[in-house]
Amino acid sequence: MVSISFFIQFLLNNIYIQSNVLRPYLAAVRSTLTAALTLENFGSQVVERHNKPEVEVATSKEVLLNPLTISRNENERVLIEPSVNSIRLSIKIKQADEIERILCNKFTRFMMQRAESFIVLRRKPVPGYDISFLITNTHSETMLKHKIVDFIIQFMEEVDKEISEMKLSLNARARIVAESYLTAVSVQSLKTISCV
Amino acid sequence: MDGAFRKIDVDQYDEDVLHESELYDADPRSPAEVLDDVRQRQGAVRSLLAKNDISGALSVILENAPYGPNVDDAKNLNLQTLLTVLNTTKSTDITNIIKTLSPDAQDTLMKYLYKGMGLPGWGDISGSVLLGWHEKLTEVAGVGCIVRTMTDRRTV
Repeated sequence: MVSISFFIQFLLNNIYIQSNVLRPYLAAVRSTLTAALTLENFGSQVVERHNKPEVEVATSKEVLLNPLTISRNENERVLIEPSVNSIRLSIKIKQADEIERILCNKFTRFMMQRAESFIVLRRKPVPGYDISFLITNTHSETMLKHKIVDFIIQFMEEVDKEISEMKLSLNARARIVAESYLTAVSVQSLKTISCV
Repeated sequence: MDGAFRKIDVDQYDEDVLHESELYDADPRSPAEVLDDVRQRQGAVRSLLAKNDISGALSVILENAPYGPNVDDAKNLNLQTLLTVLNTTKSTDITNIIKTLSPDAQDTLMKYLYKGMGLPGWGDISGSVLLGWHEKLTEVAGVGCIVRTMTDRRTV
């Protein structure tokens, strides 16, 4: 009983510490994203009667703003590329080892293949990043701006948690599989030995 | 059939095409002068730091910061000086120091914070220092400071 309550206490402490470490990073992303999300309807200056996200086509320099990077360390960073009618936000997710790299790849791929259900998700990440979002003026007009910011922040909180959870369950599963496989082998070999 | 001619950007031959240099007023000083200036200021900052006058040191660094093309050496040197100042500051003093800076200096500081975070190698500074400064600066100067960082073409 004592050990269980100790364990729970440990977990709570851990979560508290984690969120406390993550907080300044997410706060920086939140304020930068809020600043960048001032979009307006803006037609293309190069092709008449076209209206495209300027950050993607990059045909006129004067409507592209300075891209900003927010990073916690070398492996975790966010790139925000603002423009007059759209912003692109790319996230590099923490990947400590090979398993996390595979899980992250599968996870982001799963979502990007369903990009239209996420509305603001981009189908391909920007080179050097794991997942990208493209928010246009249509999105900021049809949806509440602070809710979009909340969504991105919540996504960033969840994705780390999700990947570490998947890693834990993957390891647990691998342990069970190895155990049952090896017991079968050892029972088998015992039988053969006793037959001889 | 060779289709390379289709990839030529014909817009660059337009007579009213916009050039990078037209987006902002260039620095009148030559790159060598700028570098000299930054070196001198580095010395001034050291003596101010020895006297523990951090807000004075910061305003010296942030005033007339090098910008534009061709002054990468001066930019990096100024960034290094700034990062040492940021690193030596106690986290409890940050808010008061930021409040003593002028609005222009606050904007420049914000530019440098983003530049520092965008560096690939990081130099000798940990991300939490820059993030701590960023948070307190946003508290004092507001979101407008970030907007000015995004829109100002005079990148540091």
